[in-house]
Amino acid sequence: MTACARCETALETGDLRCAICALPVPVAVRSSDAAPCAQVLRCGDCGAAIGFSAEAQAPRCGFCGQAMAIEQPSDPLEVAQWRLPFTVDRATAFARARSWLARRGWFAPRTLAREAVLESLTPLAWAAWRVNAVARVAWAADSDAGAERSAWAPHAGHVELAFHDIIVPASRGLSARECRRLIPHYALDRAVAVDGAAAELPDAAIDVAVDVAPDAAPDAAIERFDVQRSAARHHVQRAIEAAARVRVQPHIPGHRYRNVRVACLIERQTTARLALPAWILAYRYRGTAYRAIIHGQRPDGVFGRPPIDRGKLAWAIAIACGLAAAIVAVAVR
Amino acid sequence: MFACGHCGASLGFAGVRTQTCPYCASPNFVERPARAHQPRPGFVIAFTGGAGRARAQLAAWLGSRSWFADARLSHARVEDLRGVYVPAYLYSAVAHTDYTASIGEHYTETETRQTKDARGELRSETRRVTRTEYRALAGRHVGYVTDVLVSASQGLADAELRALEPYELGQLRRYGPALVTGWIAEEFSRDADACRRASRGAALDDIGVALRKFLPGDSHSDLAWRTTVQWESLEPILVPVWVLAVRYRGDRPPLRVVINGQTGAIAGRVPLTGWKVGLAIAVLALAVAAIVALVLRGGAPV
Repeated sequence: MTACARCETALETGDLRCAICALPVPVAVRSSDAAPCAQVLRCGDCGAAIGFSAEAQAPRCGFCGQAMAIEQPSDPLEVAQWRLPFTVDRATAFARARSWLARRGWFAPRTLAREAVLESLTPLAWAAWRVNAVARVAWAADSDAGAERSAWAPHAGHVELAFHDIIVPASRGLSARECRRLIPHYALDRAVAVDGAAAELPDAAIDVAVDVAPDAAPDAAIERFDVQRSAARHHVQRAIEAAARVRVQPHIPGHRYRNVRVACLIERQTTARLALPAWILAYRYRGTAYRAIIHGQRPDGVFGRPPIDRGKLAWAIAIACGLAAAIVAVAVR
Repeated sequence: MFACGHCGASLGFAGVRTQTCPYCASPNFVERPARAHQPRPGFVIAFTGGAGRARAQLAAWLGSRSWFADARLSHARVEDLRGVYVPAYLYSAVAHTDYTASIGEHYTETETRQTKDARGELRSETRRVTRTEYRALAGRHVGYVTDVLVSASQGLADAELRALEPYELGQLRRYGPALVTGWIAEEFSRDADACRRASRGAALDDIGVALRKFLPGDSHSDLAWRTTVQWESLEPILVPVWVLAVRYRGDRPPLRVVINGQTGAIAGRVPLTGWKVGLAIAVLALAVAAIVALVLRGGAPV
């Protein structure tokens, strides 16, 4: 695997430009010392001269309709190279889901656990990138250090940071909020190669686990990445900037911060495409469909938005309004 | 002059890489050795959709023009429609910027002042006012400048190309004659150094915008910066553009319209109708005059 000459990010097969800095990937240019001459592209079937068809996105013969195969856009949808095994099996996930439904708090309907109809419990290996990179980070922020009349004073600086195991969701099925709740609890050192992808591992940070327990859901569907390779650059950059915004805070003088801004020059990025395990519970309560997510490696990681008892909610609002009115009345008196 | 690759007729390739033979209609292309000011394109963005789609997009665009546009535009006819692969440069670089600025931080103060009431008696009035404290800040900004596109064609000005952007650069393909044969593929006709300078200028403008968003505080002033660009890359590419001449009046030159051959975005300066503009100004002036008259009458003593 070669690296980009400008930012040293690993280049992949089919890349036309670097995914981070957009430097074109050089190709060997054939020598063109020969005298130029007019040429015609010919149909392989009937020999007629053919031109590029915008509709077919390929050269097409106007006589026999034959389209000529040419290089496809090198911007494929990505597929997972590595997956984390399910360590929570179906029975455990089901029991945890039932238990979760029974403990949904005061605002949930009392009959939720009894009347909820569990429609499906599906194992899903959802798509994400695992990113390692270093970045030169310039930051600017307001903090309380050196403040005079205003409570804030501006500061700026720059620092070089290394980022390891940043997980960037690329899932269509799960929301960004759901992914954020799942990510911190995965054991990334347990990754195993999806068939045939082992050779493309960009670095050795994730090792093929030797003593991995059998996958509790080997038939789980592996989700396709929702984003093409060219669009992935923006997702990854935003994720690194979000991480940098947190990581630079120890470098900002003072104790309180605001307006923390970062500009990152990302270098030496490596990316692995992962499939991360989760159970998706679909259930129906009084005709309405809901869902909950059970972490594929931690059975206590269950979350979702359960139905809310509107009667209880109305009571709570009425009581809160009554209390507020009483406080105002006392204060006025 | 070159001989047609199909029938042998003489073909001139002045300023273009492709040519359709007028005798046998064969789409010819010519591959010349790259020269300093006539590089071989590295990438191509292919046309998506044919001439029919471009005509439909033009009709929708003409139909959606404002009331001020010449009404004859909606019945205009397309005189000339050509799909052209326009030469351009795709610029990228690493930018290091040192900046200084005066950063404004808001704070509030309680202010007490003496005022006279309706009876002429002095009374104290206390209020909270927001003020701004300015502090000097010097810092650095770093980043990649990517996807800056400048025209390398004498026929399509940079401003026209900018009006057609963005192009979906994820659909770049490596250049090959198969992608452009049958279309007009223009040769690079602007100096690469001039294009580099124009790209750098556009990149510096982008950095200025990014810097303004980067600064902390509640406001800022006196922003000054100095940018050093390194690792500049200027990649020759071909971008698809439909060029149309629209005839809407016999006594006027045709209206030139350009359409992004990939996304369908349209740019063109639509001629306005003088009497409509004049009428609108007159109505506006009358409305202002009426309001002023009403105000003056309302303020007069009874």
